[in-house]
Amino acid sequence: MKNRLKILRAERDWSQQDLADAIGVSRQSVNAIETGKYDPSLPLAFRIADLFAMKIEEIFLRG
Amino acid sequence: MSNRQPIPGYIKRYSLRVFLCMAAYMIILLSGISYAKSADLPQYIRVILALATALPICGVFWAVFRLLVDIDDEYQRLLFAKQILLGTAWALAITTVWEFLAVYDVLESGPKWTGVIWFITFGLAGGYVRLRA
Repeated sequence: MKNRLKILRAERDWSQQDLADAIGVSRQSVNAIETGKYDPSLPLAFRIADLFAMKIEEIFLRG
Repeated sequence: MSNRQPIPGYIKRYSLRVFLCMAAYMIILLSGISYAKSADLPQYIRVILALATALPICGVFWAVFRLLVDIDDEYQRLLFAKQILLGTAWALAITTVWEFLAVYDVLESGPKWTGVIWFITFGLAGGYVRLRA
């Protein structure tokens, strides 16, 4: 699954560690999600969406 | 925000559990062997010594599987689950081949120290899984 996490993070000038701390996961997890190696669970996707004040489908894209 | 991630609580608890189990294992093993060699012990005492020595090793198994429950980072839990499964698969493959080498009289005896083999394959699988992650 593709996502816009890296772009959204860069827009806010956050490091992967900053984002990881904010959503309560490891930096490796953020990296795996950003690179598409790992698709987050629904609860984690909601946490990410809440942090960016966006809908899940605005961050995670089909295909 | 900090760039350095602190050691997660679940890793600290896991390390403590493994350390305590291994310390208990070393103490029980060394004292048990010296006690067993020092006297002509009845069979039931030897059984008790064997169980007491095996118990902390079983404790390490418990600590490993408890870590799987404790990890609160879902991606790390996935990697750890992969590590356990891959390590177990490798250990089963090794002991199966070893067993049949014994069946066909290539080796004198079948698999021994299966737990130790599993600890080794579990450790190797950890490196392999994280290299591919």
